[in-house]
Amino acid sequence: MENDKSSQKIVDYIQNFARKHSLFVLAYGTGCGAIEIPATMTSRYDAERFGIRGAATPRQADVLLITGYLSTKTLKRVIRVYEQMQEPKYVIGFGSCTINGGMYYDSYNTINGLDQYLPVDVYINGCMPRPEAVISGFVKLQELIQDGKANNGELYRKNLEHYRTNQKKIIKNWKMPDYNW
Amino acid sequence: MTNLIKENKLLDAVTTAFKIKGKVIRGRRVEVFADKNTVSSILLFAKKQLGYIHLAHMTCVDWIEQREFEMIYTIYSPVEKITLFVKTRIDRENPVMENIDTIWDQANTYEREMREMFGIEFPGLIGEHDFLLEDWDQIPPMRKEFDTHKYAAQTFFSRPGREDAKDVRDEISKRSGTAVPDFAKKYSRES
Repeated sequence: MENDKSSQKIVDYIQNFARKHSLFVLAYGTGCGAIEIPATMTSRYDAERFGIRGAATPRQADVLLITGYLSTKTLKRVIRVYEQMQEPKYVIGFGSCTINGGMYYDSYNTINGLDQYLPVDVYINGCMPRPEAVISGFVKLQELIQDGKANNGELYRKNLEHYRTNQKKIIKNWKMPDYNW
Repeated sequence: MTNLIKENKLLDAVTTAFKIKGKVIRGRRVEVFADKNTVSSILLFAKKQLGYIHLAHMTCVDWIEQREFEMIYTIYSPVEKITLFVKTRIDRENPVMENIDTIWDQANTYEREMREMFGIEFPGLIGEHDFLLEDWDQIPPMRKEFDTHKYAAQTFFSRPGREDAKDVRDEISKRSGTAVPDFAKKYSRES
């Protein structure tokens, strides 16, 4: 996003301003954290005043929320969903399970540390994070977008080898489509 | 422990019919200990004759020191309002148990889960081998010899910071100079 031309800077500013105020969150819940999303969206906390709203399909969504623990079986679906999303795309890790495994740190079937498998923009800690914390995480993401620092979709494409080796360590029977973004 | 008439009547009915042992745990809870081969006939008898028509749960306990698996069938009568536990022990090295999905269809789900999680074979069980897990190539994970901590450390990427996890109460007592209270001593990590 860095460019010396001042006109490009203005374009970027407007583009980022528009992007940060229309974050479409994929309606996809993993683990127990998805129960906080209705509370965040509805009238008391009203996340739509920040421009956060639901999207039905991965291709229309900007933000992938990983809400809570991620089992190895779900990781496969999450990777497919993430790879179908159009850029710009952002990932928010939600709850302590995505950060270091949380209470499932020694489980045989849940991953520890989401950022080894997908590039994460913002982590929200807590078990569970309350709607205030969720909104504060989204506001942090908006700041990153405005500064032009949230370009992890590009990072994922560049470091695909690294992420693929980690993903294939978990998903042994790899039968997934290859995308050429 | 005064009015256990219904419970004792049920216990008598089952134990005399099959010549097995059992006991009344408390009101509305009765358990019987059966041989591996008679379990299905006890369940059928309880369902058809005594009205225990509801299979509430079936599960397995790993007794690794005794080299046995304990199978527990929990059945319930909506008329009597009593829960009957039928327990049996099977060999741990060669775990084979009779398939009871001809008595209750829903037993199929529990049996598939136990086949995956404990490695118990149920002859004639219908269904894929992969049930809750995907591409599992280790020993069944709910067996006690499976070291889940070690497996997780090898397979997943642990984030540093858990090594120096401290007990809250020990830290409070250390900083304030007071002793750990008696009720908290059994949770203490220091001793």
